[in-house]
Amino acid sequence: MVDSPAVTKKFQKEMNAGIASLVLLSVLEKSSEPMYGYQIAKLLEEYSSDASFMKQGALYPVLHSLESSGLLESKVEPSVSGPPRRYYEITADGRETLVTWQGVWKQMKSFVDRAIKGG
Amino acid sequence: MIRSIDEYLELLKIELKDNDAATIQDALADAEEHLRAALANLHEQQPALPEAEALNQVIEQYGSPDETASAYREVERRTSPGMRREIPAQQESGFQRFFGIYNDPKAWGALLYMLISLVTGIFYFTWVVTGLSLSLSLAIFIFGLLFAVFFMVSLRGLALLEGRIVEGLLGVRMPRRSVFFQKDTTWFERLKTNLVDKHTWLSLVYFFLQMPLGVIYFSLIVTLFSLSIALMAAPLVQTIFDFPILSIGVMRYYVPSWSTPLFLLVGFLIWTLAMHLGRWIGQVHGKYAKMLLVTE
Repeated sequence: MVDSPAVTKKFQKEMNAGIASLVLLSVLEKSSEPMYGYQIAKLLEEYSSDASFMKQGALYPVLHSLESSGLLESKVEPSVSGPPRRYYEITADGRETLVTWQGVWKQMKSFVDRAIKGG
Repeated sequence: MIRSIDEYLELLKIELKDNDAATIQDALADAEEHLRAALANLHEQQPALPEAEALNQVIEQYGSPDETASAYREVERRTSPGMRREIPAQQESGFQRFFGIYNDPKAWGALLYMLISLVTGIFYFTWVVTGLSLSLSLAIFIFGLLFAVFFMVSLRGLALLEGRIVEGLLGVRMPRRSVFFQKDTTWFERLKTNLVDKHTWLSLVYFFLQMPLGVIYFSLIVTLFSLSIALMAAPLVQTIFDFPILSIGVMRYYVPSWSTPLFLLVGFLIWTLAMHLGRWIGQVHGKYAKMLLVTE
């Protein structure tokens, strides 16, 4: 038999790669004010209840990449306790892109669901 | 088992050692920000939890150093820094390569960088000279230490700003955020850390040299540009406005009309060469900036 946990882990990682961008963009679109990494991670922890889909550390490089594509913007602000924090905010481009991505996600979801159910 | 956040950061640094210095700096800053915030939060919720146990939980959620490192590598592989264009694998002729420079955003970015480096160079120089002399002369007072700390922190800010300009215009990946201090350090300790940090002195040297470099870059580009424009315009201007290319005493010298295409061609070639020179200087300057401004 194949090493199932390792295969599942790999599958999870590959799935996360695309989904993380959609999730982060959605979270920041819903938020009325800029959020920093730990805040976002906390919120996602609530959404995912018990299961942890991805390590929190993996969110940060995705945030950087969304920022360099111009979908997010960020600023660093000092914090009362500890190192300065980077606050992220969605841009107008980001909002537009999110609408498209949500459409893609809906189609994907129904496609995958149908494939799993078989018809 | 990892016993402190600093140890985690050390391990992460080792995992990422083959990566770009700027990626490492981003990754370390992200991890430090997150782990400290998470740890503080956990302590607030469960004050009874032993330190080692708390740290373990926080790291478990954040990901081990090798997991975190692979996440950065993965994303870094998919994103390229500002304006980097993959050079197509197919062979281009020398002719195409030579004139293709007009289609290269790096060359235009480098030209713009050379133009504004005069302004930023003067600003950096003034800032550094003022800050350094005030820090030294105020050192006899207690608040002189505060001023010195402020000045050194401002250097980090400036280094970050220059990094953004260099990445935007020269296309060299630079850190997106500054290195920071631990929260529970005194002013005096900060001053000491800064004084022994070679990064502080290297960025000081960079800002100092940026003025002469800026002057050289600016003059070079403006001279070449004017020369090229002048050569291309001379035959046309003398035809339209009867303006000689040279006048000595009463003698007025004109360009023979058959040479008009020659002048246009030479002027254009000079400008094309200037673009190549600009792109080359931009690349060299980008490497040099990275060497002096980015902490390993």
